[in-house]
Amino acid sequence: MASDPTPAPAVRPALGIARFFQRTEWGLVLAIGVVLLVTVGLDTDHVYWHNPGPSVKDIVRQTVLLGIFALGAAVVIIAGGIDLSAGSVIAFSGTICATLLLWLAPDAVRLNQPLPLWVMTVACLGALLSGFLIGSLHAWLITVVGLPPFVATLATLVGLRSLSRALVAYVNQNSTQIPIPNREFRALANELWIPIAVCLALLAAVWLLMSRTVVGRHLYALGGNENAARLSGVPTDRLKWLAYCVSAVLSSVAGILYVASVAVVEPETLGKGYELNAIAAAVVGGCSLQGGIGSIPGTLLGALFLRVVMDGVAKIIKSSADVYEGLIVGVVVAVAVAFTQLRQAGRGGVRFFSGGLGLAAIVNLSLFAGVLLALLLRESELGGWTIFGSVAALVAVLLTGVRFAEGRRHKQK
Amino acid sequence: MRRFLWSFALLTAVALAAGLAGCSGGGSAKVAAGKRIVILTNGNSPFWDACRKGVSEAEKDLKLADAGLKAELDVNDGTPKGQIDKLRQYASRADVVAVGVSALDASNAEVADRMRELQAKGIKVITVDSDVDRDQMRDTRFAFVGTDNLAGGKELGKCAKGLRPDGGKYVTFVGRLGAQNAKERINGFAEGAGSKFQSLDSMGDNIDLIKARENVRNAITNHQAKGLNVLVGIWSYNAPAIVDVVKEKNVRDKFTVVTFDAEPGAIDEMGQGQIDAMVVQNPFKMGYDGVKLLKALVEDDKDTVKKMLPEHGKPNGDVYDTGLKVVVPDADTPLKADMFDAKTEVLKLGAFREWLKKYGLTGS
Repeated sequence: MASDPTPAPAVRPALGIARFFQRTEWGLVLAIGVVLLVTVGLDTDHVYWHNPGPSVKDIVRQTVLLGIFALGAAVVIIAGGIDLSAGSVIAFSGTICATLLLWLAPDAVRLNQPLPLWVMTVACLGALLSGFLIGSLHAWLITVVGLPPFVATLATLVGLRSLSRALVAYVNQNSTQIPIPNREFRALANELWIPIAVCLALLAAVWLLMSRTVVGRHLYALGGNENAARLSGVPTDRLKWLAYCVSAVLSSVAGILYVASVAVVEPETLGKGYELNAIAAAVVGGCSLQGGIGSIPGTLLGALFLRVVMDGVAKIIKSSADVYEGLIVGVVVAVAVAFTQLRQAGRGGVRFFSGGLGLAAIVNLSLFAGVLLALLLRESELGGWTIFGSVAALVAVLLTGVRFAEGRRHKQK
Repeated sequence: MRRFLWSFALLTAVALAAGLAGCSGGGSAKVAAGKRIVILTNGNSPFWDACRKGVSEAEKDLKLADAGLKAELDVNDGTPKGQIDKLRQYASRADVVAVGVSALDASNAEVADRMRELQAKGIKVITVDSDVDRDQMRDTRFAFVGTDNLAGGKELGKCAKGLRPDGGKYVTFVGRLGAQNAKERINGFAEGAGSKFQSLDSMGDNIDLIKARENVRNAITNHQAKGLNVLVGIWSYNAPAIVDVVKEKNVRDKFTVVTFDAEPGAIDEMGQGQIDAMVVQNPFKMGYDGVKLLKALVEDDKDTVKKMLPEHGKPNGDVYDTGLKVVVPDADTPLKADMFDAKTEVLKLGAFREWLKKYGLTGS
């Protein structure tokens, strides 16, 4: 939205109740509520109703971990950049943390004896420092060397994971992992209040930075129109440095907590693909990938929304839910973002299904709905082809109806 | 306000549509209703297809549906976090009553804690295929159903010894060097092969099939001059990788090829004389007997438990061995049954194929 100088919904003054209810955050809260209700209804055991405790804990645990580095992704996206390296920064900072633990207290780690507090502190600080350095490297590659953010962070996405693997092999006698069995360290993630407190503190800090300080407004301005911001005297290079450092340091925080939660550093798999989850959370939360628009609380709600959907899928489908998880999350993300974008752009009267492309879209969506339901209901007595045929036909009829309605409305205008 | 109402209406419509879809889904769910016995894998490979067959065979044979039970195989993504997340998910669900875990990492403290948590909730837990650390974490499961990988490695080592009585130099190929079963098989191989054999390298490929082939090429290029003459496949897909490269370089006569597991491709290759011996586990039996034991535990059927684990409570009495097979080509081979452990079954390829056919398997 380079042409739209309006700052984010987070700083937009609320004008009356209608304006308030139009905010992305409110829509997300509503969407989360709907997903929860649907899950309660469709889960044959109704676990959310009868015994919500373990599920709530699980969703909160996953949400705060994802939320922490999604906040970083949001800051970079608002500033008009992109950070693809989050997953690898998680792996790298986790590796640094585990390496320091192993070097400073080898016996304690190997024999699972109590870890001294100072060792844990140094290891965590080391991991955070590595995050700061990676963020600075990104900023240098982008502002001084002149690489596009996509390329700079793609390079570290690939490179840091490789470096982490080499480091682990060197530190731990050619092994592919460093186990950290110590209870004190694992408490960082297992005492659930710690990650929650860390996440909320970071949320408050980032929210204050973005919506209550001049620096924050400059970051929105930078993302909205970099040239205009520079010409107005905004120090764009230093702001980019800040944005990429916030992102990398938050990924490092998440890295420490992830290692604590799985009790092992395995760089080959740790945090793999998480950068996309972070970007998805930010985008679902109302950030525009063109920069200049985005909400910090919205991003955390976006993370919560994603986790609620994933947990709901696991509760409803029960057997091998993860096979369908990606598919359903993909659909939900596309719908949610399309929804937000349309509202932001005020394109209520858009025609979705006109012309040749519209027809192709009807075919696509009908086939997709048919295949999806036929797969999901494969155990039903109706048979796959019957379900596929009837669902696809039903959706095709519905969408064709929408096509005609759109056409008529267009003519009336 | 109108736009808000519009969005709300759309959301409700989406929710209703989802609800409708779910109601029709409810019908199928009712058919499948019941408590679940879940076998959780460590990762994904054809090995688990045979296990899945065992699970569904047990479901039918043991009439799980009559007991209000259902058995299934849940495939992990090969990461520790994936396994931990799935165990947490079971703990938060109401329908899971028993879990058989193939521990991705024998000594992961978090996996162990999650298994303890499941037990504390009254869910029955055993390990299948890959056990937890038996010194530190025995309490996390009731029993282990699977193969002793160290013993399997030894049998493979004995194959190499039998095929090359004068000894040799070998390289082992594996997915992940850090995996417990990899370590045990590699150590077992060295032990079984004896002092006349020397290891030149162990190469990991991180379950990348392209890299697995590259590793074999590099091993042959780098070590042939040093006397490399035995190629050892440690994970199932390493066998076809070795054979492909050996064929490509046309060096079959220079190498002895011994491998673990029997992927469908590897079985064909042995038929064409490309593999000298395979040590095969019985994932079908792991699935079948895993479900059998878990069902007995859920129903508190002490007789069946006693029959399967007569020594339970005594040292190593909680290990249920699903047995090993050594498969050799139909043509003449120096490998004879008396070279191996008495419990190991030595089969010609033809007989092994018959066995697979009997259970509708394509590999093991």
